Amino acid sequence: MESLNDTQWDVVISGTGLPQSLLALALSRSGKKILHVDRNDYYGGDEAALSLSEADEWAKKHASEPTDTTSTFSHASIAQAPTDGEPGKGKLGHSRGYSLALAPQLLHSKSSLLPALVSSKTNDQLEFQAVGSWFLVNTPPDGSASQAKLTRVPGGREDVFQDATLDLKAKRSLMKFLRFVVNYEEQGDTWEEYRDKPFSSLLEDKFGLVPASHPPILALALSTKSSTDTPSKFAVPRVAKYLTSIGVFGPGFGAVLPKWGGLAEIGQVACRACAVGGGVYVLGKGISEVQQNDDSDMKIYLTDGEVVSSKWLAGVPQDLTHSLSAIQSPEPDVWMTKSISIVSSPLASLFPPTSEGGVTPAGAVIVVQPVDTAEPPVHVFAHSSESGECPKDQCILYASSARADAQGFGVLNHAVEALLQSVGESTEPQVLWSMHYRQRYTSTHDAPSTSDSVITLQSLSPDLAFDDGTLGNVRLAWQRITDGDQEAFLKFEAREGTMEDDELT
Amino acid sequence: MSDGAGATAPKPSSSVKLVLLGEAAVGKSSLVLRFVNNDFQPNKEPTIGAAFLTQKCQLPNRTIKFEIWDTAGQERFASLAPMYYRNAQSALVVYDITKPSSLVKAKHWVAELQRQASPGIVIALVGNKLDLCEDDNAEAEQADAENETEEEPSTARKVSTKEAKAYADEESLLFFETSAKTGHNVSEVFTAIANAIPETSLKGPRSGAGGGTQAAISAGQDNNRVNLNARGEAGPKEGCAC
Repeated sequence: MESLNDTQWDVVISGTGLPQSLLALALSRSGKKILHVDRNDYYGGDEAALSLSEADEWAKKHASEPTDTTSTFSHASIAQAPTDGEPGKGKLGHSRGYSLALAPQLLHSKSSLLPALVSSKTNDQLEFQAVGSWFLVNTPPDGSASQAKLTRVPGGREDVFQDATLDLKAKRSLMKFLRFVVNYEEQGDTWEEYRDKPFSSLLEDKFGLVPASHPPILALALSTKSSTDTPSKFAVPRVAKYLTSIGVFGPGFGAVLPKWGGLAEIGQVACRACAVGGGVYVLGKGISEVQQNDDSDMKIYLTDGEVVSSKWLAGVPQDLTHSLSAIQSPEPDVWMTKSISIVSSPLASLFPPTSEGGVTPAGAVIVVQPVDTAEPPVHVFAHSSESGECPKDQCILYASSARADAQGFGVLNHAVEALLQSVGESTEPQVLWSMHYRQRYTSTHDAPSTSDSVITLQSLSPDLAFDDGTLGNVRLAWQRITDGDQEAFLKFEAREGTMEDDELT
Repeated sequence: MSDGAGATAPKPSSSVKLVLLGEAAVGKSSLVLRFVNNDFQPNKEPTIGAAFLTQKCQLPNRTIKFEIWDTAGQERFASLAPMYYRNAQSALVVYDITKPSSLVKAKHWVAELQRQASPGIVIALVGNKLDLCEDDNAEAEQADAENETEEEPSTARKVSTKEAKAYADEESLLFFETSAKTGHNVSEVFTAIANAIPETSLKGPRSGAGGGTQAAISAGQDNNRVNLNARGEAGPKEGCAC
């Protein structure tokens, strides 16, 4: 077998982003002949993890304005602090000492992806770490970063009781809210009329929480929108999901991150599992055209001119543009402005142990409040070097904000600066290297759609936490291809030669 | 073999990701089979895609659990390897000492690893099929089994130990000549790799140094790793805010 067209493929998967890779994993034991291609010469697609030199190349490729309606990334640029060799000043490490995540989404401990990774026997090739503390950064009305204040968000009942900044009445109100929110599904009448109203009005009207107490609660919702634009129907389930996730994998934390570069690592492990199952992997080849035939397999033209035939073709919309021209998105695109910063300090105070004797988190969430509450907040995910994403004594800050205006990069820089100034280190940590870019999210239909044999998978949403809908969408695609029982989705026996991991404590 | 030393007291245990690379039919899978199962299949069919196996290796003061990614050497599109050597702490690059072209391929792999893999990756260069070269294979117990396949075993060797060793030294690689068929030197390769992994790069499940805190080191636990199998039944209730 020397060329790809010697095989009658059952499934061609285009792109190695997370949704496509999860489909590859789901199909890895199906016995189907799978060809998994990616137009990039690296794995991970929109969820890739990059070394410094790969990031350089990536930024050059995505430096321009969006060229057409399918380009996901634009306006990418890299800034590097001058290396003047000042002693004691941090220096950038080896390019491959970094694994910068384009998708640093956290996973709630209750995310349905986690049990799926366990049941698909991929969990023992992955390492998950805790996202521990949540913080707020408040900048004073004049907006100066030097006056910014960092406060930790109370993570549960005990924290609330011990919080000296809250008076007794505030504590009572807060406890009342917390009791409500974890059972919100049974208490529709309490909040039904507030579903479409701002979450803050629910907090104020129903629970007597003064506006000053809203930001910590809102922070837990991880809403990319401003507080006035965050409706209760989004925030209530989200706060509940976080709070009920606390303790699932250990005390004191309710979210995890995959080591080695965010969601990229899950995608890689998923692809490996498919390769072990016999899937064929080819980088540097995309799909240029698809020809469907009524009575035989479709013909898929690859970007280098090769033609393969397959029963099914699956990918996210960006990878299938040539076969999907008819699809109109019902909703406008969402844009996020993002930055990745390498910081010259481990910022250890952001990663206190989750509990006495508990795990040391590798992640922290910082919400930088806008001065104007009508503006969207800036979220910063801090990853320590334990995440495998940077050398020791440094850390990575992933900042994002739901905007696409000319001020976006400045707003992110200001937020990172406010965080670094408020973190309370004797010498202010420096940003050694940073990359800025914009990312477009095209909304897609809920179900894998379109023609009989071309399956459109949903791209990841702009959500800051992994959206379980992605997995549900992959499951529908898997069911269409295999006609399988949904109960069997991602449930595999251990492969021969691998021992059950008996040594996990 | 590798796990023969029956440990009585629990030792710190670490996982090490190892990737096997090399031309088709040099014996990558056979080396793994010998190491993992102490077995040999004379006419093993080619590996399709890749295989994943695990095996423990007991060192005097710790246990290394190898997570072995065995790739298909005849892989046509050269796109598999990058996902295997990503974050791999060690690589075993195999050639066939009776086939000079396989050493050329091995050198390509070494160069690619040095260019693309983790900066601290431990690479071992392994010349396999030593059993086919009777002349420099002094082990008496191996002599019987070999003669049946090779007409002129004494001339089978095409890559001299000296040449390969010089290359390995130049590139700072561990170097071994092995026979997956007889088992000669196989466990030694893995033990040498286990010994060469810097302690600081060892990770869970019970890694010491990777933990990052003093408490973690003294307890011999990886203090960062969240165990998804420990999903607590009572967890959410206990931990939640109400």
